[in-house]
Amino acid sequence: MFNYYHYIYKDRPVRDVPKGIKIALVAALFLQLLWHSLQEPLIAKAEDLAPPLSTRTYVMSSLGEPIAVSKFLNLWLQAFDNQPGASISFHQLNYTRLTQWLDTILELDPRGYYPMLVAARVYGSINDAEKKQIMMDYIFYKFSENPDKYWRWLAHVVIMAKHELKDLDLALKYANALSEKATGENVPYWAKDMKIIVLEDMGELEAAKILVGALIASKEITDPYELNFLTHKIAVLEEKSLKKQQSVEK
Amino acid sequence: MLINMSSQVLTIARFTIIESLRNRFLLLSFLVIAISFSLVEFIGDLAITEHRVTQVAILAAFLRMSAVVIITLFVVSSTVRELQDKTLEMILAMPIRRGSYYLGKLIGYFYIAALVAVIFAVLLLLYADPEQVVIWTISLFFELVLVVALSLVMLFTFNQVPSALTGVFIIYGASRIVTSIFLMSKFPIIAHTSAAQKFMDGIIEMLTWLLPDLHRYTQTEWLTYNTGEWGALLPLLGQTMIYLVFLSFIALFDFYRKNF
Repeated sequence: MFNYYHYIYKDRPVRDVPKGIKIALVAALFLQLLWHSLQEPLIAKAEDLAPPLSTRTYVMSSLGEPIAVSKFLNLWLQAFDNQPGASISFHQLNYTRLTQWLDTILELDPRGYYPMLVAARVYGSINDAEKKQIMMDYIFYKFSENPDKYWRWLAHVVIMAKHELKDLDLALKYANALSEKATGENVPYWAKDMKIIVLEDMGELEAAKILVGALIASKEITDPYELNFLTHKIAVLEEKSLKKQQSVEK
Repeated sequence: MLINMSSQVLTIARFTIIESLRNRFLLLSFLVIAISFSLVEFIGDLAITEHRVTQVAILAAFLRMSAVVIITLFVVSSTVRELQDKTLEMILAMPIRRGSYYLGKLIGYFYIAALVAVIFAVLLLLYADPEQVVIWTISLFFELVLVVALSLVMLFTFNQVPSALTGVFIIYGASRIVTSIFLMSKFPIIAHTSAAQKFMDGIIEMLTWLLPDLHRYTQTEWLTYNTGEWGALLPLLGQTMIYLVFLSFIALFDFYRKNF
């Protein structure tokens, strides 16, 4: 029967293709699917984390897109944690190498803070004191480079040291660094006062009181909200101190 | 005479634009937009912080590279077809100067470049500050102008698609990273004084003089941290104009020497 197919379409109809070609095409597709199903599932292996290349290499390989490559590396590095059994992968990760990666990413995009967040909240949350310490040291090191920028991550580390590592001396060391080095206007009063919180837990209420008094006396703090907070803090400290004294007298 | 010439130029430009529209070129651009959108939304789901910055940075870099690839492929393939179909010979058999033909093609391709830049910018508007997107788009257009001119130079030089595309991508890539290479050679970790090294340093420095400063164009930082300023476009315009004139005369030099 004559049909008008070739007037409407540029290509010939499917039935014009030899049957052997059609069968081979479907068979080849199934072969590919079968091949894929026989392969081992793709799982990122934490121990395979290679050392990072120089930042220049990443800049050049991305044709001069350091920010884009930095964001991409963030996600790529994060992929090591998204695999099944993340807690196991954290333990397998080479934390020293991990900090090199975080440093490289920060160097590529100095305005970013993604690596600091994952260092503090993701990799730092590992239930391994030694590895936790590596992350805390890294954050402290970055804080020392630019205290006004990285103060909030160190503030978190103070809490980590105090509550997770139960190392009050270390928490005090970080808190001291916070109050002494993070002096920028962007740093809120509570971050500068973390030392008080740590000292309070250590039972050194008097020392904390002296510190607050010193902060106010030196006119380091001019913000009224901050002054109110500190005044309130001193009042609370005094109350605690009084209660302590009363319990001793009883 | 001048009116006749400009009318010829505009006619060639018009047909170049018509060709692009009939060539499913816009469809390809929208396909890139759809892929980019899916990619960026996927990335947004992965990021645990700096959500917007991450999306914008990767999207901008992807769109920039896609625009360059699309424009290069279109310019090279469309001009090659004219050469092979003998359309160019037919046009040149008419009382049309080779310069008019070149200018007409250039203007037509510039229109297409502007269209691509605007289409891609629309997607960025969903994620970045509008003013910064406008600055980025204008800069992308300047960059594409140079890519168009470079593609024509490479095609007139090599006459073949693979060689022309390779030439464009090598020169384009080198223009974007030559500053980094120069800094590495200028300030090495270990100082070296060998003649071979000095020769290489000299070659690299020469490249910085000869290639356009593409690393200053279309910066992702503008979109991620809102650092773009209108004033930044002025030197880019200057560089674009100068390099466009340079590339155009290289192309015309080759074109006028060509026998058909």
